[in-house]
Amino acid sequence: MPSYKLNYFDARGLGEVSRQIFILSGTPYEDNRIPRDQWPALKDKTPFGTLPVLEVDGKQIPQSLAIARYLAKEFGFYGKTPFEAAWVDALADQVKDFLAEMRPYFAVAMGMVEGDKEKLKAEVALPAIEKHFGLLEKAAKNNGNNGHFVGSSLTFVDLLIADFINSVEGLVPGFTAPYPAVSAVKTKIDNLPKIKEWIEKRPKTVT
Amino acid sequence: MPSFKLFYFDGRARAEVARQILHLADIPFEDVRVSYHDWPPMKPTTPFGQLPVLEVDGEQLPTSYAIFRYLAKEFGFNGQTAFETAWVDALADQHADYFNEIKPLFFVLWGFAQGDRTTMVKEIGAPARDKYFPLLEKIAKDNGLNGHFVGESLTWVDLLIAEHVGTVHQHLPGFLSAYPNVIKTVNKINSTPRLKEWIEKREPTAF
Repeated sequence: MPSYKLNYFDARGLGEVSRQIFILSGTPYEDNRIPRDQWPALKDKTPFGTLPVLEVDGKQIPQSLAIARYLAKEFGFYGKTPFEAAWVDALADQVKDFLAEMRPYFAVAMGMVEGDKEKLKAEVALPAIEKHFGLLEKAAKNNGNNGHFVGSSLTFVDLLIADFINSVEGLVPGFTAPYPAVSAVKTKIDNLPKIKEWIEKRPKTVT
Repeated sequence: MPSFKLFYFDGRARAEVARQILHLADIPFEDVRVSYHDWPPMKPTTPFGQLPVLEVDGEQLPTSYAIFRYLAKEFGFNGQTAFETAWVDALADQHADYFNEIKPLFFVLWGFAQGDRTTMVKEIGAPARDKYFPLLEKIAKDNGLNGHFVGESLTWVDLLIAEHVGTVHQHLPGFLSAYPNVIKTVNKINSTPRLKEWIEKREPTAF
């Protein structure tokens, strides 16, 4: 077994899906949370000047979804067939697009940038939610509303979406009401024993 | 062998890498070019309301990178080890982040949007380029200037970057003159025999 060290901020964000893959597979890993004031000094030591970075026996892998894909492949959370894996990839990239579209709203809503929060909510956040969660609901329904977005077993995109719902829910409470099949995935994930235990004991962060 | 049908507009942009993988692997496929007239009625029949879509024995797979990853895995353009694959994924995602930043400039260059070309090159193009291309320059060098960005065999991220550099040269000659290792690597990629033949024979398109 290689040694694993996940380097990220003290947040769920783009690192949480990888933490959950380690936890669900029972794989020991170092959950290295870097304080924001230490980050500038470490930035140039990362391949792309970004976090998260996964170290596997000291060798670095950057980019959150590259890390998630690598771990999902290692530990069996990537679908049962190549076509299922392709759909996991497609949905994961849709989530990335959603987050990119939400960024201007998140930045203001979290107090990091000046702006009109209510205007951005109406013009940016709600349309992005309607567009992307509409697609996710369709995917979950087409998959048989079985608590997974793809196939009949847990994939990393289930974990990715379940966790991001927490962050959006904090800003737009109740937003998942029109998306019952998506909510069913989140309920299933949140109730997995190892995830339930982790949710209770992990550091509490807004994102 | 499944039957492959690729649907995209009449351009390279987000589908060309898929065409190239199929051609390099000598796999027959239907290369469907959807006209702007035919797109509106087709749109609701696609999973995400977008192109490209790959049909594999009639089953639809959306999103460009999911299609590229699927075909790359099937036909051996995904790196030789799990670690190499992670780096192919990481570099591709970094490229996607860069392209999202520079996209407004390309939409103007391709005639899809209005804008002042000179201002946009200066304010959008150059900053996006100078944030990303130094990474590529270093990656090409650290990989031994062997004609690949990752490992020692052709991967889909080689095709992705080479295709983009070709598009840059089509519209912005000299834009990448500060990145000779990237240019050397792209030239080597483009000299791969079946790829060279494909590039020479394909119909020129506006994007």
